[in-house]
Amino acid sequence: MSVVPRLIVRFVRRELRTAEARILVLALAVAVASVGAVAMFSERVKAAFANQANVLLGADVMISGDRPLPESLIAEATARGLRTTLSTRFGSMVAAVRNDAVAPAGDTALSDVKAISGDYPLRGALEKRNAAGERVPFVASVHPGEVFVDERLAARLRVKAGDRIELGKLKPRVAQVFAEEPEVAGSFLSASPKVLMSDADVAASELLGPGSRATYRLQVAGDRAQEFAEAIKPRLGPGQRLETVRELRPEVRSTLERSEQFLGLAASFSVFLAVVAIVLALRRYLKREIDTATLFRTLGAGQRQTFLHFLGQFFVLALIACVLGVLLAFVAQALLAWAVRGLFASTLPPAGWLPLGKAFATGPILLLGFALPPLVALAATPPVRALRRELPAVNGGGVFAVLLGAIAVLAVVLMQSQDLQTGAIFVGGLIALVGLATGFAALLLWAIRRLVRHGRLGKLGGPQSWAYGLANLDRRRLSTALQIACLGLGVTTLIAVGFVRTDLFSAWQKSLPPDAPNRFLINIQPDQIESVRTLLPKTADGKPIALYPMVRGRLVAVNDKAVSPKDYADERAKRLVDREFNLSAAEALPPANKIVAGEYFAATDRGVMSIEDGIAATLGLKLGDRVTFDVAGEALEVRITSLRKVEWDSFRVNFFALLPEPTVAPLPKSYITAFHLPGSDSKTLPTIVNVAPNVLAIDVSEIMGRVRAIVDQVARALEFVFAFTLLAGLLTLYTAVVATQDERRYDTALIRTLGGTRRQIVASLIAEFSALGGAAGLLGVAGAIALTWTLATRILKIDFVASPSVWISGFALATGLTMLAGWLGTRSVLNTPPIQVLRE
Amino acid sequence: MTEPSKTDHLNAIPAIHADRVSRIVPLGERQLTILDDVSLTVARGETMAIVGASGSGKTTLLGLLAGLDRPDQGNVAWHGETISALSEEQLAIRRQGAIGFVFQSFQLLPALTALENVMLPLELAGARDAESRASAWLDRVGLGERVEHLPRQLSGGEQQRVAIARAFVADPKIVFADEPTGNLDTDTGAEIVELMFALNREQGTTLVLVTHDIELAARCNRVLRLARGKVVA
Repeated sequence: MSVVPRLIVRFVRRELRTAEARILVLALAVAVASVGAVAMFSERVKAAFANQANVLLGADVMISGDRPLPESLIAEATARGLRTTLSTRFGSMVAAVRNDAVAPAGDTALSDVKAISGDYPLRGALEKRNAAGERVPFVASVHPGEVFVDERLAARLRVKAGDRIELGKLKPRVAQVFAEEPEVAGSFLSASPKVLMSDADVAASELLGPGSRATYRLQVAGDRAQEFAEAIKPRLGPGQRLETVRELRPEVRSTLERSEQFLGLAASFSVFLAVVAIVLALRRYLKREIDTATLFRTLGAGQRQTFLHFLGQFFVLALIACVLGVLLAFVAQALLAWAVRGLFASTLPPAGWLPLGKAFATGPILLLGFALPPLVALAATPPVRALRRELPAVNGGGVFAVLLGAIAVLAVVLMQSQDLQTGAIFVGGLIALVGLATGFAALLLWAIRRLVRHGRLGKLGGPQSWAYGLANLDRRRLSTALQIACLGLGVTTLIAVGFVRTDLFSAWQKSLPPDAPNRFLINIQPDQIESVRTLLPKTADGKPIALYPMVRGRLVAVNDKAVSPKDYADERAKRLVDREFNLSAAEALPPANKIVAGEYFAATDRGVMSIEDGIAATLGLKLGDRVTFDVAGEALEVRITSLRKVEWDSFRVNFFALLPEPTVAPLPKSYITAFHLPGSDSKTLPTIVNVAPNVLAIDVSEIMGRVRAIVDQVARALEFVFAFTLLAGLLTLYTAVVATQDERRYDTALIRTLGGTRRQIVASLIAEFSALGGAAGLLGVAGAIALTWTLATRILKIDFVASPSVWISGFALATGLTMLAGWLGTRSVLNTPPIQVLRE
Repeated sequence: MTEPSKTDHLNAIPAIHADRVSRIVPLGERQLTILDDVSLTVARGETMAIVGASGSGKTTLLGLLAGLDRPDQGNVAWHGETISALSEEQLAIRRQGAIGFVFQSFQLLPALTALENVMLPLELAGARDAESRASAWLDRVGLGERVEHLPRQLSGGEQQRVAIARAFVADPKIVFADEPTGNLDTDTGAEIVELMFALNREQGTTLVLVTHDIELAARCNRVLRLARGKVVA
């Protein structure tokens, strides 16, 4: 006979009256809810970060090209309801105009000119200084006959609003002097003073003749910007590229990636907790179902029919839990968003349906992943069990069950973090912990057996009721092992959550200290070093600030084979080969750098190079390759002897290529430095520029401020997400403790009928729960140390900091909570007539 | 001498036939023989009680006769068909609707109502009129007013009545009962026995029961006495 859907629905409806089914549904719903809420909230926060980071682009999406961009691109963007701005960017000499005559040489500067048509910027705002010298945003468009110049150019040319400058054949009026434009993406090293002009004036200025080098850009903003970017990406022609803030600004990229990792971790922790809750609730539920299975078999249901019935029943239960969980998730993430409402400049963008879909899928995947093997066993319950209740219960499915469970967890973690390494570490950790727990529990039980069996506990002065409590643990060996494993897992997760939230996170925050360099000086000539150095502030420990040599060289050959942009398929590689590299020298490995392959060269070596591993991968370079640069017409050949990882978000002066000092010494070069100036210091930079007018001073305090704001917002958002995970964790711990409550209630009632006093029972329960909680606490702390160490060193690449206070409080919390939950669950037995409990 | 009619011939095939069945279980290093070479025949419509001291093998024998367990040696046949050779799946199908059970501990599903418990065997067999038939049977056992009650809302005697209704609802040919009055007080036990025998008569069912109760055993057509796994009378 086949499965009867009506029967399934009736069973589910009836069983939802029982505590076992309710706990299972609740555990699953909490799992789905925490996965869903964290995923939705993370997505919204990530989108908010992306929006903020996009301010650095001045738009949501930017396409640039070496030639004017086709009209079809603009049409396509407009068709999607997006706002667009076209701009043309090129370099030009600009001169001040005084009394209608062009000022003498000296009042000219090479500037970065941007000719704009349409609104600018699309994201963020231009800023100017008010009377008090504070930056205030302003909105304006550049009209024909006008220009906006930045403060640096105004200072260099000594012009103010209302003056005129010479720009090609035109003499436009300076309408505004701006402090900062939001679009700070782009290389620091090419940054020149900026001029904004109207696109309508370009032709008349005759600045762009045939063969002029210019970059044509289309900036796009709106809800469907990403969709537009995806759509046009495969159709971009040669010389055209999609710019993202991640590609343009390595330090922003690192910050965003770390933020996403932290939020992803929080989501994975909730999966971890969900697994524990489900395994425990399932066990209790299945135990009850053995009677139903026996009866089914006795009444003539075959194994297949029984299996399909239970499968259907579980599917319906999972469905109910998922609907409940998704609703809860929706409410919870809305609450989270409400809780962090003040943190973001604008309201959080809405989440898509994908996280909810993922959360929905989590339910059936986890439930069936863990329930399938025991269900197969359940369906095979021998019918004779109807006559002999004492027959052993069905087994859990052994290795197959563990394997399937692990696959289910891996699937869910992968769905969450989309990162195989993270998934593998989590699942590996899970299996290792279960194995460890089993071994540990076996050891504990062995010790208890020795203590109790031969009356050693009595000889040691322990009361007999303790011995009874401990013997209980030994008697329920399998339950005990599972309970210790699950409680341990819960504790591990909770400690790990606390650890990530505090220690790991502050380690990351510290990587961007308040006194991190916020000003860069570029193009310092060798004969200016001394005069510039005297004007620079000293480092915190009173040492002069380091100046790094910078040699510009074009990559021309690899292993004696000439290379050109067309040899590379990758757009970034093409650009790298097309442009000049900045080569520098450093005697020792600079801070924020880490060797990942080979060895850093010795100070006296010659003809060798250390290269950043990311750029090496882009260009297909490996250790041992010989690379030739063209430096001012001379060939320079170096061999790659090491690959480095660079922390780009450290805001130090970092270089892709480092050479030994003797190799760099004879080459034509300029110097670069970075240092910290407090926000109030408005004198140092102008003084330096006066002494050395060719020096380019760049203020990155703005971009740093943005990055730091993102980090702070992540910190606050994480607090909320982790608080939610913590709540789910506590519920899981409670489920773990009450899992064996029925047996314990029965045993306790039996002891009472045999004359056990309240005191004896309480003592035996305390002994049992403290042993259980202590074991779980120890295991949890050990697991947490292993897990957080792995996370810190392998995933987040942050130094691992031991934090005994977190461990000790985790252990104490685990033991205390287990005892409390155990006491709450069993307490009522002491006040209920034993016969009532025995009859239940 | 007349030729036996076809019906007589069918009637001559016993409802249950056990041929030299044994059940041996391993106990540590040695083997424990629970049932030793037991043979018996139960005719159609006959009632048989299996009695004996605790551990004599009564319940084991019942399990083998009911096809819930398999003998290590020998065969059991229902209406001439050897069931010991059938696969688990075939055996389950043979039990469906053809065999009823009454257990000492009632074995009602606590989450289902009285009516739903009685409907279960019919629904598992795919019957469409499960509800009306189950409802009629609850009427017959005197629980017409309590169809929507859950087992825990019923007394022990009432629970066993539900179990009896469930055992008879699918018109089984054989009903097996394991200590049906074991969990009931004397008066309730007597009522249950009356009910069971009345239904057995009306339905023409074969009834095999295990009991400690001498009076209950005495009401059966035949009493099989077991001692240490062997038939002694």
